[in-house]
Amino acid sequence: MSNAIEVKNLTYYYSEGTPNQVAAIKNVNLAIEKGTMVGIIGHTGSGKSTLISHFNGLLKPAEGNVFVDGEDIWQSKETLRGSRFKVGLCFQYPEYQLFEETVFADISFGPKNMKLSPEEVRERVLEAAEFTGLRKEMLDKSPFDLSGGEKRRAAIAGVMAMKPQTLVFDEPAAGLDPSGRKELIKLIQNYREKTGCTVVIVSHSMEDIARVAERVIVVNDGEIAADGTVDEVYSHSDELRKMGLNVPEITQIFSKLHDMGYDVPGNVYSVEKGAEIILNLIGRGCR
Amino acid sequence: MSEKLIEVNNVTYVYEPDEEGAPGYTALSNVSTHIDKGEFVAVLGHNGSGKSTLAKLLNAIYEPTEGTVSVKGIVADTEEKGDEVRRIVGMVFQNPDNQIVATIVEDDVAFGPENLGVEPSEIRRRVDEALKSVNMYEMREREPHRLSGGQKQRVAIAGVLAMQTECIVLDEPTAMLDPMGRSEVMKTVCRLNEELGITVVLITHFMEEAVLADRVIVMDNGRIIDEGTPAEIFSKADFLRSHGLDVPQSTELCRLVGIDGCVLSVGEAVEKIASLIGGAAG
Amino acid sequence: MVRDITFGQYYPGKSVLHRMDPRMKLAATFGMIIVIFICKSFPALGLMTLFTLVAALLSTVPLKMILKSIKPVLIILIFTAVLNVFYSKGGQTYFSWWKIEVTEKGVNTAVFTVIRIIALVVLSSLLTYTTTPTMLTDALERLLSPLKVFHIKVHTLAMMMTLALRFIPTLIEEIDRIMNAQKARGADLETGGILQRAKALIPIFIPLMVSSFRRAYELALAMTCRCYTGGEGRTRMKQMKLAGRDIACLVICLIVLAGVITLNIFFKKVI
Repeated sequence: MSNAIEVKNLTYYYSEGTPNQVAAIKNVNLAIEKGTMVGIIGHTGSGKSTLISHFNGLLKPAEGNVFVDGEDIWQSKETLRGSRFKVGLCFQYPEYQLFEETVFADISFGPKNMKLSPEEVRERVLEAAEFTGLRKEMLDKSPFDLSGGEKRRAAIAGVMAMKPQTLVFDEPAAGLDPSGRKELIKLIQNYREKTGCTVVIVSHSMEDIARVAERVIVVNDGEIAADGTVDEVYSHSDELRKMGLNVPEITQIFSKLHDMGYDVPGNVYSVEKGAEIILNLIGRGCR
Repeated sequence: MSEKLIEVNNVTYVYEPDEEGAPGYTALSNVSTHIDKGEFVAVLGHNGSGKSTLAKLLNAIYEPTEGTVSVKGIVADTEEKGDEVRRIVGMVFQNPDNQIVATIVEDDVAFGPENLGVEPSEIRRRVDEALKSVNMYEMREREPHRLSGGQKQRVAIAGVLAMQTECIVLDEPTAMLDPMGRSEVMKTVCRLNEELGITVVLITHFMEEAVLADRVIVMDNGRIIDEGTPAEIFSKADFLRSHGLDVPQSTELCRLVGIDGCVLSVGEAVEKIASLIGGAAG
Repeated sequence: MVRDITFGQYYPGKSVLHRMDPRMKLAATFGMIIVIFICKSFPALGLMTLFTLVAALLSTVPLKMILKSIKPVLIILIFTAVLNVFYSKGGQTYFSWWKIEVTEKGVNTAVFTVIRIIALVVLSSLLTYTTTPTMLTDALERLLSPLKVFHIKVHTLAMMMTLALRFIPTLIEEIDRIMNAQKARGADLETGGILQRAKALIPIFIPLMVSSFRRAYELALAMTCRCYTGGEGRTRMKQMKLAGRDIACLVICLIVLAGVITLNIFFKKVI
């Protein structure tokens, strides 16, 4: 089976050909398997957003290749255009891309660009709206009359309606309050469970990533600094902090306790798990 | 005895419906509170709880529909009095890009004092001092669009400092920043309060930030639903969650393992849990 | 990266020209451009060219940069030269073929006009190379402030210019972001006829407008919070003071003016 996305020896420069040329991505190799849920973390300017902009050909690599579904996307115009629909990219603060007169029309922008029949477009819009929890009566409203959270969901629906094989979210929960964050992460989880598609979430919130991802890729300074399961990656919390990431409080606590010589794992990332470990420990101590 | 700097009395604020048919709604209903001089108050609430509206009432950008807001006894019922209030209460907004006016960092910091008609040499002195206290002095000749979000917010804070206001209201100053920017800004805010004695009102939905305050005001649905020290507020995990909020992970962990009292920081949590494990083992 | 955009063409440096009072620079540039047009004879123009050369040397801006500023007007230069060569007639005929005749007067006017335009372009780019857009705006505001008498809102205009300079990079970044977002939804901006392409811009234009209005509103709020009430009663941190070098510049400019007038009288007019 081919990978959903594969990147080979990818290098990209900012301001290429000028004296200010800086390497943003340095010879990166990466394969994302179909059906997986991958988290990409890295601080602002680490190159993570530049990296994902290569997944659907928004940026052209200076060197190296990008394969979507086993096909080199820069082979021809058709493969490039195809990659836009195979890989759905949902940028940070996607609500700022809304432009149509109604929410319905806005969500159908993507499917329409795919030259689908009106019936098919309609079907997809309704499906995506339902998925993102937009009520039917909202679809006839102007997107600018929605609340902040609703706008965000409408914009996400616009990408989901294209039914891409891979869905990439850049900071999907940015600017949301705790309950909004949780809801949105849940929404992405549900979507993935239902459609089985590949999902990539880019974030600097290690907390959100820990909650959903099966595999974590750490990008630092244009390179992949770590790649593994959540357990593996989060056990290096000190190094992650040095890269400017905010390690969740719970992980910090356990990594400190671990370093102090207590018999606890250093890579705990959920409060419930942490409490369980400690309760077990003191339960055992009492016995 | 603490001196009251801002008093909010039975304030209701209604957004009028606009011509295009967007419905009006009541953002605040019958809110009363006060901010003491030198205090660090966090206003906590989920998006749409009315906390930003409250912030804009504190320095007379909005005028209450009902009730009064008085700053050092001044009720801003005219434009002139509004300006007077804004000389006492400064404001930093959420979007770092939309509040920087000038094309050079130091010129932007000078903007406030220039508006106040301060002497040029005095402005220079204030600008340098303000930039130093937010650690941006080295970047004083940079262009704002080349700065990171956290740096831009620090410039915005310096802009308020240079006006020498007694109080600074920060309306979700970290919502659009990354973790590094967030911690830069929060460190700066804490320092302003502790070292310079500036009264701080921080509007936020981040629990970890509210923990740093002297007092936390919790808002939902346009009302103040609770008020107290961080320890008092964050010991009510279920209550907070039912209002779309949360408690810091350190607090939650300590509560779950049965540690008494409200733990608010990672350091404290490590200490308490270490002694809990140690005590149980020994 | 978009962040690298620089406005105007300021070339950082510490030369005399950089340190001069921007008001004097602005006024002198403006004045000397007029003097260029006063020049009627080759010696007068020669003096002006000398002035321009000295200014260019003092600026420490590399020759390459200065030549770069002439490049955009190259076509105009060639066009003017050709036009003058063929249309001004008089004096000795150098070359004649069919209806085309190249005369002494034609060549002289062509050369004269070309030098004039080059001097004009070089002088004005020296101004922008050695002065930041902000300083230019400031200088303009202060120089034009007497116009207040005629109820012209000089401060407001200058403030608008400053804000435009401040927000252009932000908006360019924003356009980039919106374009990428719509491209990711399959928007096709590259193909199709003019009408189709214009239509394809709607998904970019509307979000840009919406966000610009939001920015403008927030900016207005932020300015109110910082007690901005217009130009009345404002002071400025950066005072502009005329220094010795500014007076020197004024004197030199006056001498050049006097020289040009004298040379115009004593030598044959070309134009």
